[in-house]
Amino acid sequence: MTTRASRAGGTGAGLPPGLEPATAELLLALADDDFVLGFADSEWTGIAPHLEEDVAMSSLAQDELGHASAYYALLASLTDGDPDRIAYDRPAEAFRHARLVDHGRGDWARTMTRRWLYDTANAVRLEALAGSTWRPLGELVVKVRREEAYHLLHGAAWLERLARIEGEPRRRVIEALELVGPDAPSVLAPLPIEALLLDTGIQPVPGAELLERWAARITPVLEGLDLALPEPHPAALDPARARSGHGPAFSALWTEFESVRGLDREATW
Amino acid sequence: MTDPLALDPVLPERERSKLPFNQDRPHDERYQAFEAHVLAGGKIEAGDWMPDEYRTSVLRFVEMHANSELMGVLPERDWIMRAPTLRRKLALTAKIQDEVGHAQLLYRVAEDLGKPREAMLDDLLAGRTKFHNVFHYPTRTWADIGVIAWLVDAAAIVAQQALRDSSYAPYARTMKKICWEESVHIMHGRDVVVTLAGGTASQRAMVQEALDRWWPPLMQMHGPRSDRATDRDLHWRIKAKTSEELRQEFLGIYVPRVRELGLSLPDPELRLDPETREWRYSEPDWAELRSVVTGHGPASEARIGFRIAQREETRWVRETVLGPAVAA
Repeated sequence: MTTRASRAGGTGAGLPPGLEPATAELLLALADDDFVLGFADSEWTGIAPHLEEDVAMSSLAQDELGHASAYYALLASLTDGDPDRIAYDRPAEAFRHARLVDHGRGDWARTMTRRWLYDTANAVRLEALAGSTWRPLGELVVKVRREEAYHLLHGAAWLERLARIEGEPRRRVIEALELVGPDAPSVLAPLPIEALLLDTGIQPVPGAELLERWAARITPVLEGLDLALPEPHPAALDPARARSGHGPAFSALWTEFESVRGLDREATW
Repeated sequence: MTDPLALDPVLPERERSKLPFNQDRPHDERYQAFEAHVLAGGKIEAGDWMPDEYRTSVLRFVEMHANSELMGVLPERDWIMRAPTLRRKLALTAKIQDEVGHAQLLYRVAEDLGKPREAMLDDLLAGRTKFHNVFHYPTRTWADIGVIAWLVDAAAIVAQQALRDSSYAPYARTMKKICWEESVHIMHGRDVVVTLAGGTASQRAMVQEALDRWWPPLMQMHGPRSDRATDRDLHWRIKAKTSEELRQEFLGIYVPRVRELGLSLPDPELRLDPETREWRYSEPDWAELRSVVTGHGPASEARIGFRIAQREETRWVRETVLGPAVAA
């Protein structure tokens, strides 16, 4: 068990005074993205299109949950909280995952299209955060990026494979892009407290620039497949809305993942 | 991920061709040489000549095992989304991933014996082949996840450990890897049970209720007593122990461990006979076992139905992207 004293002398240290709330917002966004995506993707465990892919998909889901756990633990060190309490004991409205992650997993094409959009955006975000002036975050992000490199390869391979086969696979990718594509920028949309984080270098690169970098990276890939990202949903770029107002798919997910723990939140599970 | 060691042949190809049953001789001579080799503890590889009876028996055995791993995923899968802590959620996803991996390894062993994977899935979903009785029952609470991972996996591992020395070498090697992973699952399951048993009154009641419900299927799991002399799987050393030997081993290890936690087992007859050192128990309901494994269990239809629906939903991926070879 980590004590309050050991935490105070550990990761929380080194943050400029008064910056805990803003840093907590950033960590919550990172953690909730991976947590909710990990939950959605783990639904494929046991039912993926074939056994080899099933095993791969479970690994991806576990990686995301592992990353989420690490972010929650870092957040817990700032707030003297408990990672499980942060992850589980919040109302659905308090979650700060991006709109992109809010969609249900859908079919295999939607899962893979969403994964690719998320992984490419996340890669841009993590590249920048590796240079955070707050060392505990920079160090964690370096570790996370090692695993995310494999996710990128997996998602890109599937997107290309599906998009290049005329007929059902391509049609399904286009449908998925139309549905989730408008929400994709929400992963990189500036956080409401971004200015504070930029001033101190905790977040070294502004969201607007991250969005440009991401577009520069994915546009050629999409063009090569004769695809295009639809116009962004206005809420996906709005700091006040990109990570709130979650829809019915997330409510259903939340109800499910709270169902056991919610029986008794004081008990040990 | 396949362990490369698990695929190393015991003997190199040129050595195996020297074995008498692999040489071009009359059938009866080959049969006798094969039988003598197996009865002396010799191993058989996928490329060896083998009597039809042996091939069919190994295939049936491995196919049922593979089916059980695949269907065993479903009762636990429902709880991935409901796991109550980050650690439990990760452990459960990893466990189920292992089981899908086991199914894959075992279907590959079976495929090498001549039956394509899609034919095995067809037979499973049409009810022509079987899977373990325990996976025909529904799960009702989080405690079921602990009891399944601890005791169902323990009962399975007792049987699987005895298969690490199977005469069919590809199966024996696969079982070594599987047993190692299953032992991790047992630790996870025991931890869930111990946590609940040491928790609040309602958590304790939850785990006791789960145990009461799972005990009868657990007692049936290894099957009715069989006669060592007439059991062909024993003769061919595909397996090493009888049902009753496995059940006794399971009871010997796990009854004390369950009781140690202050939990009870719902069988008034259950006790160790001090003279024979054998466990006594109420006769399991064998009629229930027969009915359940032939597809009439409380969750049989739902599980098979779910698998059929999922297979249909992802068929387009297999057919158009992965090609007809994996379009099962």
